Amino acid sequence: MSVVTVQLGQCGNQVGQELFDVISSDAQDGQRKTYSSVSRERFFRQTSQGDFEARAVLVDMEPKVINHSMNRAAKSGRWRYAEASHFSQKQGSGNNWANGFRVLGPRHRDAVEELVRREVEHCDVLAGFIPMMSVAGGTGSGVGTFVTQCLRDVYPSSFVLNHLTWPYGTGEVIVQNYNSVLTLAHLYQLSDALLVHENDAVHRICSQQLNLKQISFGDLNRVIAHQLAGVLQPALTPDSCGAYSGNPLGIDWQVRPPPASAGRTSSLTAGGFNASLANLLILRGKDVYSAETGGFEDPAIYTSWLPPAEALSLWKSPVPFDKYEKSATLVSNSQALLRPLDDMVRKAWNMFASRAYIHQYVKFGISEEDFLDSFTSLEQVISSYAQLQC
Amino acid sequence: MQRSKAAAGVEVKRVIGALCRLLAALGLDPVPAPEAFRRAKFGGRPEGDPFWQLLSSILHMSGIISSETSSQLRGELRKLVAAGLWQSGYHADWIYGADAGSFCSRDLLLALGWLLAKGVLETLLAGRVEQLDQTLLSSAPEKPEFSADLELDAASLRRLQWLMGHLRHRGRTLLSTIGARTRALHEVLSSSQVCSAAPSAGRSSAALTEDCFSLQQLCELLDAYVSWKQVEKVFWTWMDSVADRRLCDLRDRTSSQGVSHSLGACHQGKQRLEEMLRGPAQQQDVKSGDADWAVASLPPSLSSRLSAPSVHQMCRARLQAEQRLRRPSEGPHGGAAAPGELPAPQAAQLLLQAETELLQRRDRRRLANRKQLQGLMGSLDQQVFIAL
Repeated sequence: MSVVTVQLGQCGNQVGQELFDVISSDAQDGQRKTYSSVSRERFFRQTSQGDFEARAVLVDMEPKVINHSMNRAAKSGRWRYAEASHFSQKQGSGNNWANGFRVLGPRHRDAVEELVRREVEHCDVLAGFIPMMSVAGGTGSGVGTFVTQCLRDVYPSSFVLNHLTWPYGTGEVIVQNYNSVLTLAHLYQLSDALLVHENDAVHRICSQQLNLKQISFGDLNRVIAHQLAGVLQPALTPDSCGAYSGNPLGIDWQVRPPPASAGRTSSLTAGGFNASLANLLILRGKDVYSAETGGFEDPAIYTSWLPPAEALSLWKSPVPFDKYEKSATLVSNSQALLRPLDDMVRKAWNMFASRAYIHQYVKFGISEEDFLDSFTSLEQVISSYAQLQC
Repeated sequence: MQRSKAAAGVEVKRVIGALCRLLAALGLDPVPAPEAFRRAKFGGRPEGDPFWQLLSSILHMSGIISSETSSQLRGELRKLVAAGLWQSGYHADWIYGADAGSFCSRDLLLALGWLLAKGVLETLLAGRVEQLDQTLLSSAPEKPEFSADLELDAASLRRLQWLMGHLRHRGRTLLSTIGARTRALHEVLSSSQVCSAAPSAGRSSAALTEDCFSLQQLCELLDAYVSWKQVEKVFWTWMDSVADRRLCDLRDRTSSQGVSHSLGACHQGKQRLEEMLRGPAQQQDVKSGDADWAVASLPPSLSSRLSAPSVHQMCRARLQAEQRLRRPSEGPHGGAAAPGELPAPQAAQLLLQAETELLQRRDRRRLANRKQLQGLMGSLDQQVFIAL
């Protein structure tokens, strides 16, 4: 079962490259044959010369980041990107979601679909797609949303898991809140699951737990890749009966799960907690079968209408992950994202109320109506999550 | 002439054969033979049983007649068929029991044509395909029975949404697992050297043969439908000829009953038309002095007489055509236009001209009425005109 990754925009391409790096090094170890082979089959394909090429399509509106990622991949020696699997233009999107969604996306639709199709044809069995993007920029968010829509149209029965990188609250791009609102509102309808990494949270991990002084985007990306790989690498699900679950996306992704993870086994601290819709706990490493996970089944953290037995999924893998003796990843569909989402929508709304920068969007075909629709749907999401406790 | 007629006859027989094949594949036994169709066209026994049965089974299967009605009227095929046809919108005289003497199997043929035109074949096809094709999921779900006192609270709604998503997800996982299994099976089968006969487990083979049989039937049905569709046009031209025959028959019969009767009816119609054209001119004089809005808002009417000759000529042409039918022995002489008669194209042209003239007159009248209305409004002060 294979997964095709679509890396979109600067962030998507950088994170994607780090992800493949982590996965390939993790699968390197020869001791764990099944694990390695499943992992390799999932993310790479083997060429006639024995090289591993990533099952990925790289899309960006400027060539710099793609070239950089491809070079870094080739330098690693373990894997690389296929020569023809990238698509880039010269001019960029100017951080304008409307430009990406209405103009550049449709313009380059055929080329990108062709690349994806070729990648899909190389797969024996297609498990699904993972578009990776940031929600704040122009290419990743705008073109990314359009590409997700195309994937949905062309492969209606495939799983689409969007990996989103959330910008810093005090972010670099002034219209990032507009871009984020528009992206999320559209992806809510299109995607099967949204997996979100917040730059702020990852930054905190870097500074507090990894004790890094100068935190660069590369560090952030590595942490993100590590967490993501922790989710996507093979694991034993309850119904896989001892073999690695073929489908890595075989969990009940319902709505928007943001991950909170730790480098070591951790337990969820009660008090000031967020109510969860559903949780996925993935344990890897030593003593995985004897781990005490009762804390996660506390009914207090779940909603009343979904019993903990259904809401909690537990995956285990005795194989240590990424040189950690023990590791745990928690993917949570809960109110944890409520605050950042609320903040973001509020800021976007304040800007919208004074119609700041709207003309740049209207210029490319996104009207105020579209903005209002997006705001409405996100408000609905926020209110549903806010009422989760009952 | 004879050869082409014969060829046409063979063609028609083939077409009707296709229809019979389709009806048989749809499970409507018994189906009359194509010969029976041809005989029916030329007015066979009115008690032609196969057609009654055919019509009744069509009506029953396509759901036009409910099963209760059919069980009530089990013995009386005629009533059943009449009820069903009336239900489907076919109002023929013989259904109402009138004109019993002229009823023949041609009428049944026409009724069948009506049902076919209504699309009953497609309905039957859809039903039968659903029966035969095991892999189809039932398209329209049964109307869910909702109890009146269903409490919908937010929690159960949410749980429902969750379950829906869960189900959808499981379905997708299942699809991909099946795909993987197929792939593995393919690998196994392609790599194995020995192709042994498939071990037939005793239980499953019966089901398989059943499946096989229904698939075969399905294929036959679809085949029959496609071949029917290809020749359908010929069938309708043949049906036209049946209808024409019936019309001639009718005219013959009615004309033999009383020429004056029908002509008189035509004359009455003409007189009424003239009255209508003349009448409004008188009404208009009444309107002009009246301040009553109700009268003023009468629909615009013709103020001048239509050139009556053209209408008269049309009527006369039709009557002449009828007379000609009664005297088929006249042959080519009937083609010459008698004085006062109009051949059809000229009559049509005249009528079109008359129509445009009338429309123009109507518009002018409308304009005049509107001006009149405005004048009236102006004259009445302290009153407001509210248009509805």
